[in-house]
Amino acid sequence: MSVIKYESFVREPLIDGDKTYKQVTEDIVYTIEAKPTRLWHIGFWISVALLLFGVYSLYKEVVYGTGQWNLGKTIGWGWDITNFVWWVGIGHAGTLISAILLLFRQGWRTGVNRAAEAMTIFAVMCAGQFPIWHMGRVWMAFFVMPYPNTRGPLWPNFNSPLLWDVFAISTYFTVSLLFWYSGLLPDFATVRDRAKTKLRKLLYGMASFGWNGSTKHWQRFESLSLVLAGLSTPLVLSVHTIVSFDFATSIVPGWHTTIFPPYFVAGAVFSGFAMVQTLMLIVRKVMNLQDYITLGHIEAMNKVIVLTGSIVGCAYLTELFIAWYGANQYEYDIFYKYRIAGAYGWSYWLMMTCNVISPQLFWFRKLRRNIGFTFFMSIIVNVGMWFERFVIIVSSLYRDYLPSSWSLYYRPTIFEVGFYLGTFGLFFFCFFLFAKYFPTIAIAEVKSILKTSGESYKAKMGDLEKLSLEEFDKKMNHHH
Amino acid sequence: MEQKKYWQNLGELNNTEGYQKLLNDEFQEDLPLVEDRKGLLDAKAPRRDFLKYVGFSTAAAAIAAGCEMPVRKSIPYLNKPESLTPGEAQYYATTYTAEGEVVPLVAKVRDGRPIKVDGNPDSLLTGNSGGSSARVQASVLDLYDTARLRYPVEMVNGEPKEVPLFDAIDKKIAGEIGGNVVLLTSTVNSPSTKQVISEFFAKFPAGRHVQYDAISYSGILEANQASYGKRAIPSYHFDKAKVIIGLDADFLGTWLSSEEFATQYAAGRKIDDANLQMSKHIQFEGILSLTGANADDRFLHKPSESGAVALNILAKLGGNVSAPALQDEKLKKGIDMAVSFINSNKGASLVVSGSNDPAVQVVVNAINELAGSNGTTISWSNPAQTKLGVDSEMAQLVADMKSGSVQTLLIQEANPAYNYPDAEGFKEGLAKVKLSVSFNDRADETSALCNYIIPHHHYLESWGDAEGRTAFISFQQPTISPLFKTRYFQTSLLKWSGNNTDYEDYFRNYWITKLGSESALDQALQNGIMEPAAETITAAPYSDAGLAEAASKAGALKGGEGLEVVLYQKVSLGSGAAANNPWLQEMPDPISRATWDNYAMISYDLAKELNIKLDDHYEVEVHKPVVEFTIDGKVVELPILAIPGMHPRVIAIAVGYGRSEGAGIAANAVGYNAYPLVKIEGGNRKYVNEASAYKKLSGTYDIAYTQTHNQYEGRKEVVKEYSLADYKKNPDHIVHEREHLAKDFAPKTHNFRDDATLYPVYEFPGAHWGMSIDLNACMGCGACTIACTAENNVSVVGKSEVLRAHEMHWLRIDRYYASYRDNTEGDNLNVVFMPMLCQHCDNAPCENVCPVSATNHSTEGLNQMAYNRCIGTRYCANNCPYKVRRFNWADYTGADSFGDNQKTTGVGKLDPAVFQMNEDLTRMVLNPDVTVRSRGVIEKCSFCVQRLQDAKLKAKKENDPSLIRDVKTACMQACSTNAIVFGNVNDKESRIYKVRNEEQKRRTYYALEMIHVLPNVSYLAKIRNTDRPVGVVNGSHANEAAAAENAHG
Repeated sequence: MSVIKYESFVREPLIDGDKTYKQVTEDIVYTIEAKPTRLWHIGFWISVALLLFGVYSLYKEVVYGTGQWNLGKTIGWGWDITNFVWWVGIGHAGTLISAILLLFRQGWRTGVNRAAEAMTIFAVMCAGQFPIWHMGRVWMAFFVMPYPNTRGPLWPNFNSPLLWDVFAISTYFTVSLLFWYSGLLPDFATVRDRAKTKLRKLLYGMASFGWNGSTKHWQRFESLSLVLAGLSTPLVLSVHTIVSFDFATSIVPGWHTTIFPPYFVAGAVFSGFAMVQTLMLIVRKVMNLQDYITLGHIEAMNKVIVLTGSIVGCAYLTELFIAWYGANQYEYDIFYKYRIAGAYGWSYWLMMTCNVISPQLFWFRKLRRNIGFTFFMSIIVNVGMWFERFVIIVSSLYRDYLPSSWSLYYRPTIFEVGFYLGTFGLFFFCFFLFAKYFPTIAIAEVKSILKTSGESYKAKMGDLEKLSLEEFDKKMNHHH
Repeated sequence: MEQKKYWQNLGELNNTEGYQKLLNDEFQEDLPLVEDRKGLLDAKAPRRDFLKYVGFSTAAAAIAAGCEMPVRKSIPYLNKPESLTPGEAQYYATTYTAEGEVVPLVAKVRDGRPIKVDGNPDSLLTGNSGGSSARVQASVLDLYDTARLRYPVEMVNGEPKEVPLFDAIDKKIAGEIGGNVVLLTSTVNSPSTKQVISEFFAKFPAGRHVQYDAISYSGILEANQASYGKRAIPSYHFDKAKVIIGLDADFLGTWLSSEEFATQYAAGRKIDDANLQMSKHIQFEGILSLTGANADDRFLHKPSESGAVALNILAKLGGNVSAPALQDEKLKKGIDMAVSFINSNKGASLVVSGSNDPAVQVVVNAINELAGSNGTTISWSNPAQTKLGVDSEMAQLVADMKSGSVQTLLIQEANPAYNYPDAEGFKEGLAKVKLSVSFNDRADETSALCNYIIPHHHYLESWGDAEGRTAFISFQQPTISPLFKTRYFQTSLLKWSGNNTDYEDYFRNYWITKLGSESALDQALQNGIMEPAAETITAAPYSDAGLAEAASKAGALKGGEGLEVVLYQKVSLGSGAAANNPWLQEMPDPISRATWDNYAMISYDLAKELNIKLDDHYEVEVHKPVVEFTIDGKVVELPILAIPGMHPRVIAIAVGYGRSEGAGIAANAVGYNAYPLVKIEGGNRKYVNEASAYKKLSGTYDIAYTQTHNQYEGRKEVVKEYSLADYKKNPDHIVHEREHLAKDFAPKTHNFRDDATLYPVYEFPGAHWGMSIDLNACMGCGACTIACTAENNVSVVGKSEVLRAHEMHWLRIDRYYASYRDNTEGDNLNVVFMPMLCQHCDNAPCENVCPVSATNHSTEGLNQMAYNRCIGTRYCANNCPYKVRRFNWADYTGADSFGDNQKTTGVGKLDPAVFQMNEDLTRMVLNPDVTVRSRGVIEKCSFCVQRLQDAKLKAKKENDPSLIRDVKTACMQACSTNAIVFGNVNDKESRIYKVRNEEQKRRTYYALEMIHVLPNVSYLAKIRNTDRPVGVVNGSHANEAAAAENAHG
């Protein structure tokens, strides 16, 4: 790997404690080999309950019609598409961490990338539920697939952003899954090699695709990582760009905005990191992984949050400016009369407070490194980002062109909320299984930085620092 | 051997050129055959595909076996009637009659079922427009009403018991009938029935015939008796009037024959580029009526001041009466205005009053006399026969019944136990009548109390005649055999008076005798009408003998600030006889836009007094405050709707609601019955009252209304309105605006259509359908909405679903108040009605967002829906700037693939009315040419594409493209004022082309033209003949701007 196995001791260690390779393996694989804790059981069964309620809510919606939700002639999308965009956004942090940070050689990503990628996959799974089940006739959903058919030359409408979504989301899901799974191979092999029962050996053996740790395997593994990272990188930008096209290419005032693609991507990364924070703070506590997910990791992610939060804030202000400067009455009305004021004004200001104003507190290092505050903020940001989508969707639809159709208040029904809760159920159901049966931290990758960024190794760097430049160069480059 | 030649027609025998052409053109389009047929048919299943085939067949077999398809049997004709081709519509002339109202119709019959009715365009009674009202349009559904009695019944202890044979009933009645026999009916204007009745009473000379109208016009009848010596209502000619003064008369909505008046009225309101003359309409009223909403100027007064207003007008016109002084300055100005207009238009003015007080009507007659209307705009040559009930006769009957002097009471099409103010008295009397028989079609409030109900046929099942005006005869002929065991009430009368002829034969004989021959009758039946070729207008000799007395009575003013109550009819339900018609119940009221209820309309002032904040929240929130009114000693709890343009001290409650269970599922318990609040004063029923106390209660009540924002917020791209003076000053204003737009978006070519976009615009080489809607002619009556519902099988969703903004109307009428909601100056109010339907945009925003192309554009400019392809993402509805797309939120029609999913629990509810619409009987009204939509798909206006296809087919068959010009959409056909013009804009001879490019070029605009969706529906700007500020100035409503200026200045 790297030529210089050295990192300045000024930099914070990324792995705390006096760890050896063996210790790393022990720490991470421990959770797989031990019996699940009581906390795990409680969380898992709550998720199952939520998931079942979600399934019931959907059953009602599919059998009795979309009227089981409180949408109407004016507001045709509400919680459904809000939740869709929200979940897709959450997924973004995973890919960003695993792909872009890999390309940028950010060592700190190793502590969180596995869980973040898992989060991405589960979040995209949740997101995908909404556009599917929001259809009035979901049993005809396959019509959106471009496949040769017996209906004459009848293809889907390639002009429709909803169709682009189908491709964007499915591509994203596939690539993320491959990336995640290929990263898991060496770790599965580790678990397999430590297995004490036949069944475990068999299952993890199958899951690890016969990985034997040969140099050839490692070489292919590294190139595959790079290729997939290269593929994923544009996806990070494209997926939410395309999701934003659902709105940007329409003619609804408040949707028809060219700023949406960058604004959505920034918002997605923003909410994704917040969600990673939420999960990581829980995982490191519950799984006892504080040594691997350190305050340094948390601070790094908080920096991303304050950056993207500010980008999002700029986008909000730009929208307002253009709504005034553009001198389009319909756009002006939406933003100034019915969005920042009017019936849904509260949701706009909630969004502003959560997404723009409160993250600015992360300029303070103390707060960035405060675990309780970070956890609180990670929730706040996700609430804010949910409201961002709600504001865009509902507060644009409820007052569009013809005042005669301006709408009633929109309140979700129990089954709309149930569907949303159900996706939480699905998400955590998957996540709990993942936490129990999969190595939650990329063992192999963490080991790759142990000798440069491990706390005990860092401590030894102090002596190196005292060397003169020539001595240092000699020692580091001609040592082997 | 001789070679025989077999031929099908002369064309083939002679092999003419025309025949050859037809033969070649038979299939103009290529048939969609698979080109590579060889591959398809000769394919063998190769080894490699074996598994594929096995998999497919297994899956297919499994699916086919798993899905049980319901078996529906259809039975073909064993012997097909010669004149009938299944799938082809037949049309019969007939006549709508209800409570005296007469509207000549043409009924469309498909496969033996009448499915649509429209006005007979040959009749003067429809103003030759072929239009009709919402109630007439909906009446076809009443034929299939589930609440109709299916056989004659005897009421035993309040329970109906079937009497299987008419003979049995006749026998029973023959034993009981006798003594003082009274026949109580609504107005009878059928000549043959009148003869039946007189023959009946020849047998029962002690008896009498009492005519009783649910809504009384007795005051006018009495007044005309006094002024003209005729107990009749003249015919009015609004088209001949340059000045129209309405005093509480809702003549465009519910007063007398409003369809006819609307046609006439519109004739005087329509302007075009060449002719900028329009009539002046001033309305004096206490509530905001449909007619008032169309007036150029409106002035408010309390109902108790009606007489005073009339007297002031009369006095100022020079009448020899003393008028009480009015306090309201604005009202006085209004009176001066009315007088000055009448003075400068003598002989071309018309004053009508909706009051049922004979004194007021006598004063109005005097005004019309001075205005020179008698013989110019009011004609006595063919007086109306639609309302003949005299209130004093009814009062006498009730008194007689109470005293026990009526032994037999026969009731036809009258329901006094429901709609007579003294219903309790009537019921008390009815209990004392020995034999009571009702011929009403259902066990309604009155019938349920009778001994027998022998239901009469529906008008679409009947032979009959009607004389809406003297010498204006309309005929009924059955369009279907009676669905149930019902019988003409005339037959009963004939039988019981000892004549065994059926009314059917009686009717034929009557007319054969009159017309001279059977063929003459057949001809008359085919025409449906016998009317004078043109109407002569004659005056009647006038006498002012009763004026002085009337003036003193009418001039009495009620002092104080008491709250007065107006009891009005809704345009949808009228008197409430058709309350079990879900189409009408779900039709939004033209003014309040509310469905499925009545309520108290109150003024903004009163709302403020009651601490009801009229903010955004009030406007959109369906939970309305409930107010307790004490009216005439009765305590009434009603939800309220604050309506601008109401007199501050007036509330209005609609009659026609609060029907009993016997009226039917949809009518039952909807709203509150306001008839008991009607006052009987001086022998006449008066639809006004006073509220002595009122207070807001803590609860709320949900009112399902379909329009939750009432102002157009200065969006002049949506609504364009001008005052006539402004428009005359700058008639090219719209043209210039549109040119400016074109310059802005296409600076080089000024071609907005083609060059204001990056994309190529499709040109329409063949037909290109377009519609033009004249906002000046649209009165907002809503007949088009119901016509569309009937033509296109639009679902009824019920109140619970309307509350959730799930109504399905393809065509709605947006009603905008051009004033802010806190403006309490009720008289300074402009109301705009804007019919809104799919605009069939050529650059449709809904089309490109559909992921599966379920909505797409036809080569003829139609925006079309493929329901089978729709997966229900609702993206199109979100992206539709006109919000005309409707989604099937639940299984409203029972057409869904999920069985038993209509009875939802928890969220949402389908009301009983929806189930009523899904009964097999009710479903007979469905138009077989239009798909019934299932749950989960979007639907919307199709421009009646089934009619377009039909017209094209006819034109093709006849080889005459000009036949396409006859095509009418359902809304256009139903419109009494011809506000809607439709056709092929590529055809330079078509009406639509001429309207857009020649006659109305200056007033034509497209709603939201600037977003370049290229709609195919254009509107003609609204012009008001008034000096008040109208339209939009600097982004806000002109009258608001002016008011603000006044306030600050």
